[in-house]
Amino acid sequence: MLGRIWFLILLLSAPLATFAQNNSLKSPNVSANTLFLYRNSNFHQEDADETRNGVDLREAELMFSSDVDPYSRLSLLLSVHPNYKFNATSGKVEQTWAVEPEEVFAETDQIPGVTIKAGKFKAAFGKHNQLHTHAYPFIDAPLANSKLLGEEGLNDAGVSAAGLLPVAWFSEITAQYLRGAGENAEFSSPTSGDGVGVGHWKNLLDLSDALTMEIGASVAKGGNATGGSTSLYGGDLTFKWRPVTGGKYHSAIAAAEFIHRDMQQSGIADETGKGLALWGQFQFAERWASNVRYETLDVHNSVNPDLPNLLTTKECFGLTFNATEFSAFRLEYDMAHGPANAKGSNNEKTVYLQANFTIGAHPAHSY
Amino acid sequence: MKHLILILGLLHSLTAAAKINVVTTTTDLQALVETVGGDNVTAYAIAKGTQDPHQIEAKPSYMVKMRDADLVLAQGLELESAWIVPLIQGARNPKVAVGSMRFLELADKLEPIEVPVGNVTRAQGDVHPGGNPHFQVDPIRLGKAAVLIAAKLGEIDSANRALFKANAEKFQKHMEERTKEWTKRVAATKFREAVTFHKGLTYFLDRFGMSSPIQLEPRPGIPPTAAHLIEVVELMKKRDIHLVLIENYYDDKAGEKVKEDVPNAKIAVVPISVGGEPGIKDGEQLIERIVKIIEEKTR
Repeated sequence: MLGRIWFLILLLSAPLATFAQNNSLKSPNVSANTLFLYRNSNFHQEDADETRNGVDLREAELMFSSDVDPYSRLSLLLSVHPNYKFNATSGKVEQTWAVEPEEVFAETDQIPGVTIKAGKFKAAFGKHNQLHTHAYPFIDAPLANSKLLGEEGLNDAGVSAAGLLPVAWFSEITAQYLRGAGENAEFSSPTSGDGVGVGHWKNLLDLSDALTMEIGASVAKGGNATGGSTSLYGGDLTFKWRPVTGGKYHSAIAAAEFIHRDMQQSGIADETGKGLALWGQFQFAERWASNVRYETLDVHNSVNPDLPNLLTTKECFGLTFNATEFSAFRLEYDMAHGPANAKGSNNEKTVYLQANFTIGAHPAHSY
Repeated sequence: MKHLILILGLLHSLTAAAKINVVTTTTDLQALVETVGGDNVTAYAIAKGTQDPHQIEAKPSYMVKMRDADLVLAQGLELESAWIVPLIQGARNPKVAVGSMRFLELADKLEPIEVPVGNVTRAQGDVHPGGNPHFQVDPIRLGKAAVLIAAKLGEIDSANRALFKANAEKFQKHMEERTKEWTKRVAATKFREAVTFHKGLTYFLDRFGMSSPIQLEPRPGIPPTAAHLIEVVELMKKRDIHLVLIENYYDDKAGEKVKEDVPNAKIAVVPISVGGEPGIKDGEQLIERIVKIIEEKTR
């Protein structure tokens, strides 16, 4: 633990002195993002629940990025977050801290029209899997992402090539090969060299100067821990509206994401899971937006106790105040109808209040 | 006849291919490129004249424009820092990468004003450490920018270098002449100070002998607060300021609130970019329109 803290101090000590977007050759662009979260769920059990009620530092992310030379650039993103695990000996949930390389990759654009990437990164699968926690439109990713792609999402070491098709609209094809030995149990094949192939096709069309439509399709396939294979299929559709006049004050988003997972299991029928998330956001003032999401997760033939065989639905209602580009506050109320708690209730109600702060280099806003 | 059409079509496509394809971050730079390059360029602007250029969304469709670009022109001084890098990286066009010869930022080469002294922190709001980037409302700097653009276009298309240079110098001279006229007209209005919403008109005011001692936003990028508007009203009364100019992509409600306490204040929504109002096609028309608005407020 001390070693990790010392490592962190060393990392931060030099570049934080020049904590800004800079042109210096001596230090990369550095930024830090922190998420503080208050959570209150009626399902919470103090001595058993690994998701905690109360105030917590949800995550701190440290990002360093810079051109390496005329040919490549490097991005390093470290995540500092608490881990809670039930300790059977003490009968209590205990906290530890983790410092993890969330993404570390090198990229090059030297081949015109293509970005080549190597390292550890979030796989190009769907919409949410490519977002960092602080960029989620709600407190959490949809159930389909957290349950079918793993808590940390599909994130592994590998190589990636993403190219723009020579057409008049934005059409990008991404092909990735991941080692299949990362944080994702569904792709942890015991066979050495049995990796995961990922494909993603993203299209964005300007329907007008104010309105865009994005449509994407994703697929991933690789060996799993049982010796069989796991297949993932995803589709997403997003409409974004921001008027050319008055767009500082009003905008809207309507989006949908679908994920289907088929996992072969030794000696029994395939486990199947599919989830759909539909959400909308309306910015009604310069700094205020309201969000609503409805989602489902339907699982069959699962032998995983954390993934029960039933249909779960969830509704989320959020209100966001963006004080500046660098700080935002979100109040959210979630209602989930799914697995029962110890008292036999199927209806979990949770209130969240999240504070999001960023310091350092200007955050690049992806669309 | 068929052969003639084919040859004409081929010639047209060759001509089109020979044009320099420029992507600019603002409509003001687009207009400058078209003035300097004429028929030898095609120019596309990302931020429209009614949009806040600080907060443009990095639409992937802009990446497609940059993918096909021979040159990217930006105002610079971090005006576009929230969105230019993801666009350039997403374009996958190494020719126009940030720092390359085909990526040009202009504002830092035009004697920027309001360069902060000492330590800059975000507690001061969305401050630009290199100075104010909104030079497009200064006709003299527009002329100098045209010359810089001509030099860059000349590097790409050396056959037309002399033409680009001549076009830019003609434009620069014309703007110098018009500046003399605009200076007299602004002087005749008797306005010497104005409240602006943001520091989007500072170059204009500075050029024509005016100043803006206070803005409606308490700090750059921070929306007006009731407490700050009281300060604005007090200063307007103390210094006898009667003109409030609101850059067109901001809401004019704060100006209306000021008018409740300073009844003789003249409130005007002002375009600060080409395309900010219908009919404003270039920098000359933009500055003419701003001068005209100030003149109208004297009556």
